[in-house]
Amino acid sequence: MTTHTDTPTTVEYVPEQPARLEWAKHAPEVYKAMVRLETAARKGLDHTLYELVKIRASQINHCAFCIDMHTKDALAAGESVERIVQLSAWDESRHFYTAKEIAALELTEAVTVLTDGFVPDEVYDNAAKHFEEAELAQVIAAITVINAWNRFGVTCRMAPGHYEPGQYK
Amino acid sequence: MTTRTRLLDPAVGRAMSALSAAAKKGLGDPALAELVVIRASQLNHCAFCLDMHLAIAREHGVGERQLDLLAAWEEAEGVFDERERAALALTEAVTVLTGGFVPDEVYERAAGHFGEAGLAHLIGLVVAINNWNRVMVGRRIPPGGYTP
Repeated sequence: MTTHTDTPTTVEYVPEQPARLEWAKHAPEVYKAMVRLETAARKGLDHTLYELVKIRASQINHCAFCIDMHTKDALAAGESVERIVQLSAWDESRHFYTAKEIAALELTEAVTVLTDGFVPDEVYDNAAKHFEEAELAQVIAAITVINAWNRFGVTCRMAPGHYEPGQYK
Repeated sequence: MTTRTRLLDPAVGRAMSALSAAAKKGLGDPALAELVVIRASQLNHCAFCLDMHLAIAREHGVGERQLDLLAAWEEAEGVFDERERAALALTEAVTVLTGGFVPDEVYERAAGHFGEAGLAHLIGLVVAINNWNRVMVGRRIPPGGYTP
């Protein structure tokens, strides 16, 4: 029987890949608009829900930098490790989340993956049951903004692992 | 098919417009910008954005042959130049993140044509249209709302 208790004390990981491009430095007006958009999109939304949306979209878009940031922010704000770990399989672990959170997660997936088709009526209608109209517009804005950060993060290969919670606040 | 909601926080809309304007200005090539924006809107199936940007592309003098063949640009030999092809390849990679990462060869090819500042604005433009695609498809805003 194999055991894995004898973990070596030093493990050699592969080296960190350098970022491709410091996009904010080369496009400062674009960055400023992104910061404004971020501020506008989070207005009125519950912080716990906001971070779940951020993490889930970042998982779907494979944005390592954004996953690093938002899991740390969520943990710093008191989110449980268990809910963060289960998030990539939320459909099978629904009892970790509220019905409102699930509605937001379903909408997050639909609005993030537009290339496969449209945002299904049942997904939108379920979200509309849990969020009043203006709040729902903010959820859509929040999903949009994290998708935007994900695109910068992945394309410019921003390196994860260096974020400290609250760094950009 | 009916519109789901027309609500969008005015501050969100203004920031999205500022993002689009800054990216487009920094790229400095309005005709190419429209090709990029239309291709992303095709991938994201945004009827409102396609309707709007096909009209704008025509205003900027983008030819009908390019617009007709844009969805198959990779196969359309002689219709798009190397710079346009590099930009379109990057547009597709940045738009479809769910299929994987942005490949090195796609990134390097675009970097070769645009330089760092141009590239940062080109990426910004792809992000900006992806934003509009999401808020328009998500709220099901019908095409036809744009008048040049």
